[in-house]
Amino acid sequence: MNIEYLVIVIAVMSVATFATRLPPFLLFSGRGQHPLLQFIAKYTPPMVMTILVIYMLKSVDYLSAEGLYAAIALIVTIGIHLWRRNALLSIVAGTITFMALVQGWF
Amino acid sequence: MIRAALKITLPIFFGYLPLGIAFGLLFQELGYPWYFATLMGVCIYAGAAQFMSVGLLSAGAGFVEIAIATFFLNSRHIFYGLALLNSFGDWGLRKLYLIFGLTDEVYSLMSTIEVPQGADKPQFYFLMTIFSQSYWIFGCTLGAWAGTKLVFNTQGMEFAATALFAVLLIEQWIKVRRPLPFIIALIASAIALLLFAQHMLLFAISLSLIMMILLRSTNQKVRNEY
Repeated sequence: MNIEYLVIVIAVMSVATFATRLPPFLLFSGRGQHPLLQFIAKYTPPMVMTILVIYMLKSVDYLSAEGLYAAIALIVTIGIHLWRRNALLSIVAGTITFMALVQGWF
Repeated sequence: MIRAALKITLPIFFGYLPLGIAFGLLFQELGYPWYFATLMGVCIYAGAAQFMSVGLLSAGAGFVEIAIATFFLNSRHIFYGLALLNSFGDWGLRKLYLIFGLTDEVYSLMSTIEVPQGADKPQFYFLMTIFSQSYWIFGCTLGAWAGTKLVFNTQGMEFAATALFAVLLIEQWIKVRRPLPFIIALIASAIALLLFAQHMLLFAISLSLIMMILLRSTNQKVRNEY
């Protein structure tokens, strides 16, 4: 246990993380009206969201019960969202479903 | 405005709490005082990188190695600012903090939701960011401080992050209403999983962006419709 080492590691990681979030703002500040940048701004979110969902689902072990639980919880989330379009409600319902199945509440 | 920001970020609370606790639990096994987990949540504020740090710290990794590993692990964030270039207001401490706090979850919310009527956008985003980071710091601290004594079983609560992204994906579909970006992202993800499963996020996001820009510059139909 070496406090000095830990503090430097925290400082290094803070700077490295910030360095990944800062570049677009430095490079393109004030140029947000450029047609190509507007195109990118509009279509990165749907692509990133698709990729994040696939990323979250890829770590599930589909040969175990967890795969079935994740599928059921996802159907509940999507179903309730299409029905009521209330993000908080859909997320809470899906999460409680998954927790109940994984922890074996019934 | 505070209530609206709390309500909008509540799904992030459910996602960050179990993840933060899990990090805190891992971290306290290193033997450092609990408040360093808090400090990491305050200064670093990156889930995957903080998990990675536990391994690096116990191995006594070098600073350069840690800097490079952290940068690459988080490098997908380089693309996140592109959708929010005009949303953070004028340069100043607030803008720097908004950039600092641009995690996967915060980016996803900001790029999908509309701010409430009459609310100042950068100010509302500032509240969203500060609330989200507070949840993360709370989770990290709780896990490191009281982790082993926790009575509430958070197992499975991490599904909140998946549910959040799934809901925001539906909202993106309602907003965009054109199939191309979703199809491109599916193809890029499949290629990334086959070739670079370890760095799937960075590779898939870069590849889909390149494919989208190439299609726009070579295909007249895409140029007109998108």
